[in-house]
Amino acid sequence: MNRIEERMQKLKEAGEKALITYLTAGLPDLEATKDILRACERAGCDVVELGIPFSDPVADGPVLQEASCRAIRGGVNVKKVFRTVAELRGEGLELPIVFMLYYNTVLHYGVEAFAAKCREAGVDGLIIPDLPYEEQGEISRCLEGSERTFLIQLVSPVSGERIPMLLKGAKGFVYCVSSMGVTGQDADFHREVLSYLTRVKEVSEVPVMMGFGIRTAKDVRPMEHIIDGAIVGTYFMKQLEKNDYRAEAAEEYCRKFKKELNCN
Amino acid sequence: MNQNEYYGAYGGQYVPESLMNTLKELEEAFEEAIRDETFIRQYQEYLRQYVGRETPLYFAERLSNFCGTKIYLKREDLNHTGAHKINNVIGQILLARRMGKKKVIAETGAGQHGVAAATGAALFGMECTVYMGEEDAVRQALNVMRMEMLGAKVVRVRSGSNTLKDATNEAIRTWAKTAEDTFYIIGSAVGPHPYPRMVKEFQSVISREAKRQILEMEGRLPDAVLACVGGGSNAIGMFADFIGESRVRLIGVEAAGKGIASGEHAAAMAAGEPGVLHGMRSYLLQDEDGNVKLAHSISAGLDYPGVGPEHAYLRDTGRAEYVSVTDTEAMEALMTLCKLEGIIPAIESAHAVAYAIQYAKKLREELGEKEAADRRMIVCLSGRGDKDVNTIADYLAGKGYLN
Repeated sequence: MNRIEERMQKLKEAGEKALITYLTAGLPDLEATKDILRACERAGCDVVELGIPFSDPVADGPVLQEASCRAIRGGVNVKKVFRTVAELRGEGLELPIVFMLYYNTVLHYGVEAFAAKCREAGVDGLIIPDLPYEEQGEISRCLEGSERTFLIQLVSPVSGERIPMLLKGAKGFVYCVSSMGVTGQDADFHREVLSYLTRVKEVSEVPVMMGFGIRTAKDVRPMEHIIDGAIVGTYFMKQLEKNDYRAEAAEEYCRKFKKELNCN
Repeated sequence: MNQNEYYGAYGGQYVPESLMNTLKELEEAFEEAIRDETFIRQYQEYLRQYVGRETPLYFAERLSNFCGTKIYLKREDLNHTGAHKINNVIGQILLARRMGKKKVIAETGAGQHGVAAATGAALFGMECTVYMGEEDAVRQALNVMRMEMLGAKVVRVRSGSNTLKDATNEAIRTWAKTAEDTFYIIGSAVGPHPYPRMVKEFQSVISREAKRQILEMEGRLPDAVLACVGGGSNAIGMFADFIGESRVRLIGVEAAGKGIASGEHAAAMAAGEPGVLHGMRSYLLQDEDGNVKLAHSISAGLDYPGVGPEHAYLRDTGRAEYVSVTDTEAMEALMTLCKLEGIIPAIESAHAVAYAIQYAKKLREELGEKEAADRRMIVCLSGRGDKDVNTIADYLAGKGYLN
């Protein structure tokens, strides 16, 4: 069983909502990333999205663009991040890890080789914001046959009639984008966010997570009865940055969020 | 993969999910519009009355004598706003209006597309925002001024290399956020489907006219047509009507910057490998990690690390050939054209002129003087060089040309 699936099963049994955090890999270095991932696991974070830096991150706002840029300057690349994940798995980390990356990184690596490397290193899922459903054939074929790495589907507030197609065969969880555009727009959710999330929830066979613009558990109060969890990216990165990427700060933030998310 | 959206292995729609419905809507509206006679008539009327088409196919006699072969220049530099970019803008903005959009956004490198977009927006009373790399905004300050005079807002993009690539990223980000009421006017034959097809459709007027004109003047087709290639909009327009004429050589000229070997160039097809950027799969300059490499060219309009997907396809199938010329070669050709023909070309277009001169030399060597003198080529003079006067002055000062 895939680690994400396993975790989702546990959450369901416990009646809990998930917390998913995002961090750009390699800030300030990959050792720090390891410490933060260990801290996330200790704090009960359910999935971590690990951002692979890319030169042209069109789905990201200024904060994550800047993070990507700095990581690249620090020499971070996908090969090193694979190694980092493999090392963490070697020491027994069971936290589900999803790569968030752009398709050129996969293409450049070689799609087949990339899929094999994900399985080998222990990467449980992929989020590729510039790879819409229609272009997924190539990578889906390479991921097929193994339940180890899932391609996570993204849904947008304007997906409309596309929703059933996107959700057919979705695995792990579905990532509902809360607003149009890029990451990091401070809880400025789309005006029809509630009805759209409801529509997704009705159709989805996997848990429904909402991301983009979320800062604290309070931000998702209005939709907590619909969604199965929240994804925090830009705000989490800002917290890390403010606290010099100390693992304790990450741990504290996750604990608090997870507690507030599940206080009812 | 939907084959309709591809040119062989290139093209596609590599955009966030939030833009997929927008692209579908756009494709439907575009296909419907180009089948609607009223729309086409309206487009042609604006090209005639406002843009000033048709543009001359000018026989450059002194340049021809200098080169020992017949060279015709397709004078896109004589269009309103000074380049071929307006052909496409008029088409897309009419489509935007037809779709009920009130706002348009555009990216720009040299500023020619930005000026054209600002012009079109003024003409139709639409709100226009142009994204331009900070570095380009400096080297093309005159065009920034023009856009602002035309009522457009110019956003100077400070990210990555501060050039066209980054301006395009920012335009895509804004579009993904505002697609519900905003139309994105892409200026080159790049981007997700249906943009490459749409830009080709609206630029193909170049080769439609040129073909008819050369048949009138020469009674036969040209042996070769040449155009510079950044993203490839003037080139695809210049090639369009000749693609089916197998005896006509199609030659695209990329920017070799300081030389391909120096690594500082913008020749995606000479030195790139297939990748994904700006919603399309095509040749792309990238480093060993798959990050997009900075392009370099003295010409802002060619300073782009990718290329339109149809060019990638024409290259792989061998229907078109792609060569490159350096900054220095382009600048020398620019001066040659100034002095021989009294035409100051854009630095972009000077790349095509530079290769025309080299190609003529090759013809003389391979075929002999007599045979070469009977050959005819058309060079797309995509834009005029007024915008480049500062760059040219700096270059000449550095090289001591004016002494």
